[in-house]
Amino acid sequence: MNEHDELIARVAETLKEPVRIDPRLDARVMAEIEAGRTAVPPTRRVLDWLTQARTIRLSPLGGLAIAAGVIVLLWTGTQLRAPSPAAEPSLAAAATLTTTVQFVLIAPDAQSVSVVGDFNDWDVSATMLREDQAPGVWAVTVPLSPGRYRYSFLVDGTTWLTDPLAAQAVADEFGRPNSVVTIGES
Amino acid sequence: MNGERDGLLVRRVLGGDTDAYAGLVARYRDRLGRYAVRMLGNEADAEEALQDTFVRGYRSLARCTDPDRFGAWMFGILVNRCRTHGAKRARRERLLVHDEGAMSGASVAHSEDRDAWREEIARALERLAPDQREAFLLKHVEELSYDEMHDLTGVSVSALKMRVLRAREELRRLLAETYT
Repeated sequence: MNEHDELIARVAETLKEPVRIDPRLDARVMAEIEAGRTAVPPTRRVLDWLTQARTIRLSPLGGLAIAAGVIVLLWTGTQLRAPSPAAEPSLAAAATLTTTVQFVLIAPDAQSVSVVGDFNDWDVSATMLREDQAPGVWAVTVPLSPGRYRYSFLVDGTTWLTDPLAAQAVADEFGRPNSVVTIGES
Repeated sequence: MNGERDGLLVRRVLGGDTDAYAGLVARYRDRLGRYAVRMLGNEADAEEALQDTFVRGYRSLARCTDPDRFGAWMFGILVNRCRTHGAKRARRERLLVHDEGAMSGASVAHSEDRDAWREEIARALERLAPDQREAFLLKHVEELSYDEMHDLTGVSVSALKMRVLRAREELRRLLAETYT
């Protein structure tokens, strides 16, 4: 367990300490229930609930997933990448084929680089880039099924970087920018 | 009543024995209260959310499809109520009430240091975005699986994992000075 994991483990253990709620809460709950019980019994409330008109909220991600473009991204400070296979698959084939995407980051001072995103469940150590091509050039290829994926680079386990050449970037729900790669949908 | 299974108590309540519900409230008060206090940051808001949860639970009890898992069902209601209360109410002064008996055996030598550490954590937790705080508490404190978290929140597993990751990073950043 590294130092960071130890810290989170200590935080979790502290937060697991019991909390004692005022036992008088029970009486307040029962009083509120008793006050409303004579008006409408629970079974009647169920019927009311079942027959009520209501608004159903849908996640916007479902809608976003429909929007598509054939966009392939590459990561680099100075260069681009190319996806494979080179030939565009038919729409029918695209549903079953994966596309290999190369992620590249120029980071001369980095000791480690990983790409973290929807395609690896945001696991910071699942997809490490390698510095094989040239000093400071970090790269990895990832097979991706058709879809839209948010991702970021993590340098030395501490610094998050977005792709300066990415065709698309979106902020996550916490306002942090992520790059986006969309594969095979149109 | 203390030894009765949840399912039996639920069926008694549905059969008209309202007092049996008090047994369920007492059984889950502190368990659910911990999440509410951690999520909302103070006891007053937590108790309000908790009371709301129990009352709503009673009124919806016929929809509890698995009475033996009453606690898990109530937890789902609580998560939603905490979202609502958290959005509506301003933070009040935090007052955590700990079970002193349960903590007396802790190995930390200096209670002042321990209290300061708890305060630091509470402060850091409060600074997380509510979505991050919720995901972190469900994963690391309530120890739910991502599938269970998805069932509770309706949020995709992938998004939940991102929230937990972001929460951990933010907590590390906020607590770095204290810890090192």
